[in-house]
Amino acid sequence: MEETPPIITTHALTRDFKKTRAVDSLDLAIQPGELFGLVGPDGAGKTTTLRLLAGLLDITSGSATVAGYDLAQQAEAIKSKIGYMAQQFSLYGELSVVENLSFFSDLYDVPRAELRERTERLLTFANLTEFKDRWAAHLSGGMQKKLALACTLIHEPEILLLDEPTTGVDPVSRREFWDILTELYLGGTTIVVSTPYMDEADRCSKVGLMYAGRMVVCAEPQQIRAQIEGDLIELQPDDWQTAHALIETLPGVLEVQTYGDLLHVFVDSADKRLPEIEAALKKQSIVHRGARRATARMEEAFISLIKRMEEE
Amino acid sequence: MSLRHLWAIIRKEIHHIMRDRATFILVLLTPIAMLFLMAYALTVDIEHVPIAILDFDRSTTSRAFVQRITEGKDLDLYALVDTLEKVEALLLRGEIKAALVIAPTFEQDLVALRGMSLQIVIDGTEPESGGFAVEHIGGRAEEFLSEALASYIQTLDVSLDSLQPIDLRVRTLYNPSLKPRVDLIPGLISMVLGFPALSVALTLAHEREHGTLEQVMATPVGRAELLLGKMIPYVIVGLINVIVIPAVARLTFRIPFNGSFPLFFLLSAVFLFALLSMGMILGVFIRTQPAALALSFLVIFFPGFFLTGIFFPIASMPEIMRLESLGLPGTHYAIITRGLFLTGVGLDVLWPYSVMLMGLGIAFTMVGALFFKKKLG
Amino acid sequence: MLKWTSCVRRIWSLSIKEFIHLINDWWMPAFMLFGGVIELLLVGWATSRPITNLPLMVLDRDQSAASRTVVTALENTGTFALKALAPDMETIQDALERGQINAAVIIPPDFDNEVASPIGRPTLAILLNGAESIPATAALRAIEGVASDMGEGVILERLGLEPDDFAGFAPSLRVWFNEALSEALYTTPAELGLMLEFTTLLFAALSFSRERELGTLEQLLVMPFSSMEIIVGKSIPVILVGFFDFVLMLSMVHVAFGVPVRGSLPLLLILALGYLLVELGKGMVISVMSRTQHQAFLVVMMVGMMDFMFTGYAAPVESMPQIVQQVANVIPAYHWLTILRGVLLKGVGLEVLWPNVLALAILGLVIGTFSLRYVRRALN
Repeated sequence: MEETPPIITTHALTRDFKKTRAVDSLDLAIQPGELFGLVGPDGAGKTTTLRLLAGLLDITSGSATVAGYDLAQQAEAIKSKIGYMAQQFSLYGELSVVENLSFFSDLYDVPRAELRERTERLLTFANLTEFKDRWAAHLSGGMQKKLALACTLIHEPEILLLDEPTTGVDPVSRREFWDILTELYLGGTTIVVSTPYMDEADRCSKVGLMYAGRMVVCAEPQQIRAQIEGDLIELQPDDWQTAHALIETLPGVLEVQTYGDLLHVFVDSADKRLPEIEAALKKQSIVHRGARRATARMEEAFISLIKRMEEE
Repeated sequence: MSLRHLWAIIRKEIHHIMRDRATFILVLLTPIAMLFLMAYALTVDIEHVPIAILDFDRSTTSRAFVQRITEGKDLDLYALVDTLEKVEALLLRGEIKAALVIAPTFEQDLVALRGMSLQIVIDGTEPESGGFAVEHIGGRAEEFLSEALASYIQTLDVSLDSLQPIDLRVRTLYNPSLKPRVDLIPGLISMVLGFPALSVALTLAHEREHGTLEQVMATPVGRAELLLGKMIPYVIVGLINVIVIPAVARLTFRIPFNGSFPLFFLLSAVFLFALLSMGMILGVFIRTQPAALALSFLVIFFPGFFLTGIFFPIASMPEIMRLESLGLPGTHYAIITRGLFLTGVGLDVLWPYSVMLMGLGIAFTMVGALFFKKKLG
Repeated sequence: MLKWTSCVRRIWSLSIKEFIHLINDWWMPAFMLFGGVIELLLVGWATSRPITNLPLMVLDRDQSAASRTVVTALENTGTFALKALAPDMETIQDALERGQINAAVIIPPDFDNEVASPIGRPTLAILLNGAESIPATAALRAIEGVASDMGEGVILERLGLEPDDFAGFAPSLRVWFNEALSEALYTTPAELGLMLEFTTLLFAALSFSRERELGTLEQLLVMPFSSMEIIVGKSIPVILVGFFDFVLMLSMVHVAFGVPVRGSLPLLLILALGYLLVELGKGMVISVMSRTQHQAFLVVMMVGMMDFMFTGYAAPVESMPQIVQQVANVIPAYHWLTILRGVLLKGVGLEVLWPNVLALAILGLVIGTFSLRYVRRALN
C-alpha cells in the first residue's frame, strides 16, 4: 500500500480569510481507495479544506495535488475527476429529481448511451425512484442529501468530497447513507467525508482530526482510540458537579469528562482505581450508579486530544 | 465551448423562469406595461390650461381680444381679475398656470402701430403649461394684430400679408404632426427592454444567495457557458416583448412601422445580446440581489433614459456624456428603431449601429467571463 | 409601564438587527443614497442644458447678402451647428434619411429680391427630421425666431417706421417662481419627489420579501415578537434611511442646481416624513404579497410607473381626461409633488397647501390602516 502514490496530497496548505486563518499549514496524504473522515468541531476548517480540494477556493499559500493535477494551476481539470457535495442544500429546488440528475449529467459530460442506465441505478441506490418527478424543494431533508449524493456520482468520479453529508438528517437515513458510502468504498472510490459525528469517524478507514485549521492527528480509528491514556471508568453520580471535583483530586486519575449525566474517568489502572473512587464517593455520601469499566470511543479520544490542544 | 453544457444551463434557467408563475408573468408583462404607461404619460396633448386675464384697458378692442384668446379648448378662462395681487394668489395656489395682463394703453398702442402692450405671466414651475400658454396667446395675438392692421396696410403701397413677412414652408418628414409620441415610442422600446437586463443581473446574485452556485462551480462547466446560458433565456423573453410591443404600439398609439420586420427582429436580438451582457457583468460583480437591483438602476436604467438620445439630443450633450452614450447599447438601438419605425431605412443605413451593438455585446460578454471566477469568496 | 419598556426594547433589538443587515450588505443602502444623488445630478445636468449643436444643413440657392444674413443668423441662435452648406437636395435628403441632421433650410434663388422689393414675398423652405421630435421642435422654434427677427426688419422698412416707435409684436413675458426658466428647477423637484417615493417603496417592499425568499422569515416569526413589533422594527431603518436620503438629495439639488427653499423648511421636512410613512405602508403590503425579491421589485416598478403618470412630471394633469384627474386625487405622489413644488419654488405654506396635506393625511390613514391589518394578518 505504501508504493502507490497518494491520490490527494497537500503540503503546508493554507487559506486565510479576512481576519482568520481557516486552514493552517495542512499536510495530507490520502491513498486511493481510502474512506477518509475529516472530523472536528465547528470552525475547525473542514469545509474550507474540502472546498480547497474541490478547486472552489484559491490557495493562500502551500500546495496540493488531486488526482495528479496541481490545485493551483489546474483546478478546472480536477473538476471532472471529483464529485463534490456542498454542506448546504445546493441543488435547484424547482427542478425535479430526474431533472437535477440530468442537469449534472450534462455538465459532467456523461456519455448519453449510459445516462439512462446510470440514472435508474442511482435512483434505486438512493431510494428515490418513486419520487423521481418530485421537485427537489419538496423532498425531505434526508432525501435531498441523497439526491445531492446521486448528483455527485452520476459521472462515476474517482474521488468524492462530501461536506457533512449527514448533518440534519434523521438517524435511519443517516445509516442508509453510510451504507451507500461503504458500498462505494468497497467499489474502490476514494472518499473524503467531513462529519461532526464521532461515531461516523469509526466507520472510516482513516480519520483526520482538525482543530483551529490544523491537523491534530491523522491515523486509523483504532490507533486514535489507543492514544487515549489509561483505562476508562464510567459512572453516574447524582451530584455530578461535586463528584467531578472530588474525583479529579484522587490519585491515579488522569482526566475526568462529563458525558450527559455520566462521568468518564480516565485512570492509570481501572482495577486499582475503581474501588478507590467508589470509596471516596461513599465517604462524601455521594450516591452513584453503574460504576464500571468501559471502552474508550472516538468521542472520548477526540475530547481528550482537543483538551490537550487547548492547554498548549 | 461545449454546446451540451450551454444547453443544460439554458434548459435549467428556462425551467427556473417558467416555474415561478407570478414572476414569469411579471417579467413578461412589465416591459409592455411600462411602455404603455410611459407613452401615455409623456404624450398627453396639452389643453384646458387654466388662465386668468387682467384687463386694465377695458376697451372694445381689448374685450374682442379676450374673446379671441379664450376661444376653443386650449385655454380655459379661469377668472377675470382686476389686480395683480389676485393673479399672484391664483398662481401660488396653482389654480392658474398663466395669466394675460392687458396694459391700459392696449387699444391706443395698437391703433398707433406701437405694437401690442401685453404681458404674459407664467408659472415657471410648469413650463409645459406655461410655454403652451405663451405660444397660444402669442399666436392668437399675432392673428389679431394682423387683422387690426389689415385695413391700414391696404392704404399703403406695400404688400404685407401678415406680421410674418418671411413665409416659412415647413415640411416635417417621418412624423408630420411632430407629435412626440410617435418618435418617443420606438425609443421607449429601447428603455423597457432594460427589464430583462435587470433580471439577468439578478439571476447570478440569486444563485449566490441561495447557494446553488457552489454545486455548479464544482463541475467542469465553462465560465462563458454559464454566463451565456443564463443570459439566453432572457434574450428570448426580450424577443417575445419585441414581437408584442410594435403590435401594441400600432394599435393603441398608431405608430407607423415603415421598415422590415425580420430586420427589426434580428437587430433587436443583437441589441438584447448587448444590453443583457451588460446586465450580466453586473451580476458577476454583485453578491446580493438588492445590490444588483440598485446597480442595475444606476448603470442600465438611468443612462438608458438620459444618455441614449431618446429624450435629450446627443448633439446637445457635453463631450464626456456623448462618449458615454456611445458605450450604451440603447443609444444605437434607439437610432435603429427610429430608422425602422419612422424613417423606413434598411441595413444599408443601419449597419454601423448594428456592428456597434454586436461589438458591445461581445466586449461585455468577454469582460464578464474574464472577471467571473468559478470560485467562492 | 413595564410592558412598554420591554416592547420598546424588543423593537429596538429588531431594528439593530436590520441595521446590521444593512451594513453587511452595504451596497444596497449605499446605492440608494448615492444612486439617487447621482441620478439627480444626471437629470439636472442633462435637462438644464439648452438644446444646442443640432446639425443643420443649408442649401443656399440665392447666394446673396440676404441669404448669407439668414445663414449667419441661424448660426448665431446657438441652437445649430452648421454641418454643411449643401450643394443639392439629394445631399440633404440623404442626410435626413440617415438621421445625420435635424433640420435643413433651403433658401430659394430669389430670396434677396423678394426681401428688397416692397411687394415681395420672401419664403424659406424648411425640412425637419420628425424622427426626433424634441430637437425638431427646438429647431423649428429657432428658425421661426430668425424669420421673425428678419421679418420685423422688413416690416419696419415697408411701413416706414422707426424702430423705436415700434414696441414689437411679441407680448412681453414674465416668468414667476422660476425666473431663469431653468429646466433644472422644474425637473429636479419632481425627480426629488419621485426618488423619495421610489427608494422608500423599494426598501419597504424588500423588507419581508427578502426574508421570505431566503427562508429567514420563519425564524423571525417564531421569536417572541408580536407582529406589531416586527412591523415597527422593520419600518424604522426604512424611515431613517429614506428620510436621510431625502435630506441629502434636497441639499444636493440646492447646492448643485440652486433649487431654492422658498417656503418653510421644517414644514417640508415634516410633510416629507408624513409622505414617507404613506409609501412605507404601500411598500409593506407589497413585501408580504411577494414571494421573492424579484417579484417585489417588479411590482414596485409598476406602481411607481403609474404614480409617475399622475405626478404631472411628464404632462400636466389638467390636460388629462376627467376620470384620470379624479384618480390623481387618490394618488399620494400627486399631492406630495404639489406640496414639494409649492414649498420649494413658490414659497407657500399650509394656507395654500392644506387641501393637499389633508388629502395626504386621509390617504395615509386609509393606506396605513389597511396595510397594517393586511401585514399583521399575513404574518400571523
